[in-house]
Amino acid sequence: MSRSSLWISLFVLALPFTGVAFLIYETVGFDWSELNDAAWRASLAVTLYVTLVATAVSLVIGTWLARSVYRRRSTWLASLLRWPMFVPHVAAAYLFYVLFSGGFPFYGVVEANERHHLVVILTYVWKEVPFVFLMVIGTYAQLNRGYVDMAKTLQLTPFEQFKVAEWPFLVKPLLDSFWVLVAFISFAYEVPALLGVTFPELLGVLAYERLTTGLFLNAFESYAVALVWTLFIFIGVIGSYTLTAKRRRRIERGMRR
Amino acid sequence: MSRFLTAGLILFPFVGLFLAFPATFNWDEAIGNTVVYVLVLGFVNVWLGIGTAWWLMFTESRWKTAVEWFTFLPLFIPVLATMFGMYIALAQLGLVGTHIGVGLVLLVTTLPYSIRLAYNAMYVIGRPLLEQTLTLAPWSRFGLVLFPLLKETIRTIVLFSTVIVLSQFVLVQLMGAGLIPTVTTRLYQAYAGNDFALALQNTWVLILVPVLLYLGIGGLFGIWIRLVKGRLQ
Repeated sequence: MSRSSLWISLFVLALPFTGVAFLIYETVGFDWSELNDAAWRASLAVTLYVTLVATAVSLVIGTWLARSVYRRRSTWLASLLRWPMFVPHVAAAYLFYVLFSGGFPFYGVVEANERHHLVVILTYVWKEVPFVFLMVIGTYAQLNRGYVDMAKTLQLTPFEQFKVAEWPFLVKPLLDSFWVLVAFISFAYEVPALLGVTFPELLGVLAYERLTTGLFLNAFESYAVALVWTLFIFIGVIGSYTLTAKRRRRIERGMRR
Repeated sequence: MSRFLTAGLILFPFVGLFLAFPATFNWDEAIGNTVVYVLVLGFVNVWLGIGTAWWLMFTESRWKTAVEWFTFLPLFIPVLATMFGMYIALAQLGLVGTHIGVGLVLLVTTLPYSIRLAYNAMYVIGRPLLEQTLTLAPWSRFGLVLFPLLKETIRTIVLFSTVIVLSQFVLVQLMGAGLIPTVTTRLYQAYAGNDFALALQNTWVLILVPVLLYLGIGGLFGIWIRLVKGRLQ
């Protein structure tokens, strides 16, 4: 039973890799200088900005909430944080659109569809904080309290306590979440299409629009961008996991009690 | 005080749901498609997720690490980017514009999460307990031990896959060649046409489907566990 589902899973999960192979095949002979236009350059800049800000804020808030749930045993917060998980990204985007695009008190202070993409970032943070929380709370649940107690006994400052007794164990879940979020936010259509502006557009939106408008004439640009972006993230993943491999392995061995 | 602030920040976007009356609800093709996709993908994700995680848990194969990476890596690849490649690949097979094509790409986006969730849950339960179930016949192994043990995991897998499936606009639009309407694709049309009431109605559906499914599965499991416990007496 498990063997047959393994093979089906492997077959299904081979599809994205096949997709990448097809992208490579399609971009052979592509004139890469075509990508050097203002729309793509502005798009790269705004994508990096939105992705990094949204990811960093989600990671910090998610970890902070997991930490306070762990320390104060506040179950009410843990159950409240499930609520955003029931809302699909599209629906969340629409809710934020309704709230920030007119009539409501926030109008004028923070608006949807403006150049700084603040509402896009806000939507992503609202949706991703529970995800980060879930990734991190598991680590906190298994955390050996002895380390924290030892750090306290040695009279370290609260920051140093966090650094030596908690941070080493958080590296793995935070690294996992970081790349999942970066891959997810940097190349998506749904949320920025609803809440963004027509210039500069995020990479996913621009790529989809170039792909589908004008009889697929600009399709190769989108293929090239999709390929480069996938490889870029892939290199980042491999690089960061190799750099932390030794440290993570040491922690994993230490965690087994 | 900070408690109220945190709760307020988490809950305030839901206010948007009550700013106006949604359009009256009619069952149509888009909602039918959505419900069928959600149910089928939820079932397939539970089945493949638990099956694959079971293999990863018990295998002695030297391919284990490779398989682990292979099932984990798709999480780090932007779905939309590989989607362009899959579009070309599946177009060759004539699957664009069919339910199978759309279902397949939706499965690609959800399965890595499901395998991960199932594997983590089994890891927490631990190998010794799971090994004891091997003496049972498959049906009673699942019905009497694994399902009750994995209740929360199955609910979470279904919730994750449902919410991800409901979020996909481009995947369904591109892979379905615009021929397969779902609530999500209709939301964008309603939004573009400035039909506030219809867009709000679709938003309600998008949020209620996962909530009802989550509660429903919880209820069914509750009944089943009570029946199984009744056998003990």
